[in-house]
Amino acid sequence: MLGTALIAQAAGTPAGKKRADLRKRIWQHRWLYLFILPCVIWLLVFCYYPMYGATLAFKNYSYKLGILNSPWAGLKHFRTFIYSPDFWRVIKNTLVISGLKLLFSFPAPILLALLLNEVQAVRFKRVVQTFSYLPNFVSWVVVVSLMNVIFSPYGGVINDLRKNAGLDSIFFMGSREYFYPMVILSDIWKNAGWGTIIYLSALTSVSPELYEAAAIDGAGRLKSTFYVTLPCIKGTIGIMFINAVGGLLNAGFDQILLLQQPDNQLISDILDTFVLKTGLSQGRFEYATAIGLFKSVLSLGLMTLANEVCKRTMEVSIF
Amino acid sequence: MIIHQTRSRKIFVVLNYIFMTLFAFVTFYPFWYVFIASLNTGRDFARGGVYLLPRAFTLENYSLAFQNSQIFKSLTISVGRTVLGVILGLFFTALMAYALCIKTLPGRAFFSFFFYFTTIFGGGMVPYYILLRDLGLNKSFWLYVIPSIYNFFNFLIMRTSFAAVPLEIRESAQLDGASEPRILFQLYVPLSTAILATVALFIGVGHWNDWFTGAYYQSRVDLYPAATLLQKLLNEASSTIKTGQETASTGALQSYTSQSLQMAFVMILTMPIVVVYPFLQKYYVKGVMIGSIKG
Repeated sequence: MLGTALIAQAAGTPAGKKRADLRKRIWQHRWLYLFILPCVIWLLVFCYYPMYGATLAFKNYSYKLGILNSPWAGLKHFRTFIYSPDFWRVIKNTLVISGLKLLFSFPAPILLALLLNEVQAVRFKRVVQTFSYLPNFVSWVVVVSLMNVIFSPYGGVINDLRKNAGLDSIFFMGSREYFYPMVILSDIWKNAGWGTIIYLSALTSVSPELYEAAAIDGAGRLKSTFYVTLPCIKGTIGIMFINAVGGLLNAGFDQILLLQQPDNQLISDILDTFVLKTGLSQGRFEYATAIGLFKSVLSLGLMTLANEVCKRTMEVSIF
Repeated sequence: MIIHQTRSRKIFVVLNYIFMTLFAFVTFYPFWYVFIASLNTGRDFARGGVYLLPRAFTLENYSLAFQNSQIFKSLTISVGRTVLGVILGLFFTALMAYALCIKTLPGRAFFSFFFYFTTIFGGGMVPYYILLRDLGLNKSFWLYVIPSIYNFFNFLIMRTSFAAVPLEIRESAQLDGASEPRILFQLYVPLSTAILATVALFIGVGHWNDWFTGAYYQSRVDLYPAATLLQKLLNEASSTIKTGQETASTGALQSYTSQSLQMAFVMILTMPIVVVYPFLQKYYVKGVMIGSIKG
């Protein structure tokens, strides 16, 4: 959507006008350029310079020489990564976590919005919504702190109830087999409520006449959900899907980082946490940069792919 | 047939209400649970069985948390970065959003793309870290403020809101001889207060919650914001939690535990958000809608 807007603007700029005219117009807008200037400088420093800094992935970094003057190393670091035993493990973990999230966390707000939409009592609905948005506003650090207390084997409410029911207490936060369920549950808990906003507003735009027509044709509530509601909001679902696929390789970076424990490291290392570990903790700057770059390029490719697929099947796209 | 329909409908409605109530409960209960944990003596809490109200009520956890110089310092840093971050972020985002909502600006498409591109591609964490280090920001408070001045999403929300201001207002002001800064700050800003409040809150919540910058880019421990300090405490706790019940081993004289202290700290971090947020909910929702539709 933004992309088409950009093209439309580009087409609107007067390409054929004279230079003097352009100079005059630039002068007329001098204040506006001054307004943009701080942000342009900021972007050059904090966004574009690190992009250039990503050439580190092809170099042997020397602290003394800096990024610019360090000698080239070709694809050495990429090769090291691809042939390392960590490669498949990290890629697999990233894809498993993202896949589970696409499967469970992605539909959760859609389902929730559909159910909320059926609630007639306005005040009740508003209260539920108010509660459901709240977790979005607290940091993952707080969420993981809450989880630590609730699932604690020492006095935590879940294990307390288990003990009362005669079951053994489980160390949920530290056991490997509970890592994925914890990731998915906490992800849904934190984000599903907030995610309904966009679907709920898409639902309000579905014309009531369509439901009436469906009812006359003998469609029940469930049928009209499938044949009226979902087709009407598929554009919104499509756009959210493209974004989700674009972020596939992120897999919820800070959540994973905070839920990581020595016990689950084997299945919890994702691309980003691996970059952090090799780069900032072990100081293997070039290697970590190469992995980060590998991820960025792949993400961009995935997003383009999802965009194409959605363009063909659902007639929506983001660029 | 019709009777059957209405009955299944009725069952659905009832189940739906039950489900929604449960959902709201599951969302809110963790906050409540930690809240009562923070108001209970740590030793007593570790015995279990505290579910709905504190059993051994105390404010000790809070007073200890505020007396702890590290926690107090981290809170001042969080407040400082949030206030400064909101002011600077709002100011620079408004400047840029205003300039780019003017359709006659030569090069507008180029600048839009220049801004947009940073959201789909980045250099990665390591070059970014090297940059921060080279600028000396990794040893400074400004690490929290300067690198997060700009955010594309906030820019988009603000630009959309400015673009909704009728062009005639700007044109007639120009005819009256008003300069661009005056048009922006005396016409556009007052006309968009709701959106400015939304963006201010997005920025503020972002600053208040950001633990990552402190944890990985800040090399001075005394400059950790509260969220980062909490994460460090969490890490320490998770490394000791497996070896044994710290609560059982601590002396009988001590009524608090590191966990109960931590719960008070979690509540101190969460309270401002819980208190402020319900009042601003409608603004937030509006902001999200603008951002997602245009994005």
